[in-house]
Amino acid sequence: MRPLTLWRYEMRRAGWAAFLGPPIALVLGIMAALANPQPSDPTTARILLGALEMAIPLAAAVACSSLVGRDPARELQLASPTPYRVTLLRRMIVTLGWTAAVAVPAAVVLIATGWWARWPENHGAFAGQLTWLAPTVGLSGLAFAAGAVFRSPGAAGALVTSVWAIQQFFAGSAQAHLPGRLLYLFATTRGAAPGDWTANRLTLLGAGAALIVFALVLLGRSERLIGEEDE
Amino acid sequence: MTTFVASLRYEFRMQVRKRTVWIVPALTLVLFVLIGGSLLRDLFDPGERPVDPRTAVVGLAVQLHALLSIGFGCLLADRLIRDDRLRVASILDATPASPRARLLGKYVGAGAATAIPVAVAYFGFAAAYAVDTGEPRALGWALAAFGAVFVPGLLFVAAFALAAPLVMPAPLFRVLFVGYWLWGNVVSPDMMPTLARTLVHPLGGYPLAALFDFHGIDGQEAWAGPIPGATLNALRPDPTPALAWLSIALLLIIAAAVLAGGHALRARRVR
Repeated sequence: MRPLTLWRYEMRRAGWAAFLGPPIALVLGIMAALANPQPSDPTTARILLGALEMAIPLAAAVACSSLVGRDPARELQLASPTPYRVTLLRRMIVTLGWTAAVAVPAAVVLIATGWWARWPENHGAFAGQLTWLAPTVGLSGLAFAAGAVFRSPGAAGALVTSVWAIQQFFAGSAQAHLPGRLLYLFATTRGAAPGDWTANRLTLLGAGAALIVFALVLLGRSERLIGEEDE
Repeated sequence: MTTFVASLRYEFRMQVRKRTVWIVPALTLVLFVLIGGSLLRDLFDPGERPVDPRTAVVGLAVQLHALLSIGFGCLLADRLIRDDRLRVASILDATPASPRARLLGKYVGAGAATAIPVAVAYFGFAAAYAVDTGEPRALGWALAAFGAVFVPGLLFVAAFALAAPLVMPAPLFRVLFVGYWLWGNVVSPDMMPTLARTLVHPLGGYPLAALFDFHGIDGQEAWAGPIPGATLNALRPDPTPALAWLSIALLLIIAAAVLAGGHALRARRVR
């Protein structure tokens, strides 16, 4: 099979949630910003950037948490010349690529309309793209790893959404110490220490990459994928 | 009735034996303790914990309900569509067992099993607190808070978790659900229009304010009632015990309606 055909196939196999999740999350975030009954520029700008930093990573990560454990004929996948973990990685790349295709134009619109600059902690147009990229990679890495460990989209999705929610509900406590600040997903819009922003973004990217590698190592043990499974 | 009980027992046992039903809340609690600043730690610190045992255990109920209900909803989201995915739905439909009774059994059985780790965590911490402080009343308040705050909220979540994946992919439901949970429970009403602190508040604002006289751990928060300048204030009358019961009833009515909608949708598809 030609590689391009393979990519096209994996695009379809990534699922409707991967396709619909990021745009729906973004639109809901923008609606929340524009529905603000007492509009003041920084607050609206903060919610708009929040749509990129909070909603987009959540949608991408939940889609990534659903990649492992969905194929009905895993034995066939495991017997094919393309290693199954490469297939899953390809689906993850497709999911994250689509997420970027939604997030970048949204960021460009925010920059062009001036909303980006109205949030004081915006970190510029280029480095500022880490606003959505770093939490997306970090949380999606966790999601992929949780999927590889649990082999159940429900459990992996539950864990990822719970981690996201803890950081939302307890933003202050989550950032009370340095490790918590470095791993905080929403450092642009709810960050406690603006000086830690760059370190935070790089840590999230690094943690995401490490978790993806961990997941790939785990997925290499094919007997785990055909053994007992959590239905 | 037999179908309902049989379905309930089977779904309960199947769900309660799933390791992930226990691992997910356990990992969430570990993370919760690790970040610090939560009541889980403060409850056992004489310098930090609330003086009143009622405030302590009701505050614990709010924190655990806010957090563990997310995993609860996400774990239940594949239960109804699972029958279709495993291609057993049509076989089950061909049996004389009523689909309505099977759905109800699944709802109560799988919901109760997924709620067991939540209850174990809540009552475990409440009992440890009662022993640590020598305040057995705390357990009574914990029971009352579980019945009035957790149960209606979890029944509300479970209905959506079973029925919503019939009309959208389960992962998309998980994204929308956690977004809703944050928006409809925690977001401040003066920031954007939200159902938080209205009569339709699965975190239990009205029961907390009117039945438990709970105003936050520091006594400074409003959990129900109108907010100056906020939209949807028509749904935020001043809290009274009658309105607290109405709020609970509303959650249960919505849950029943959603479940009935899910049943009707499945019945139409089968035809």
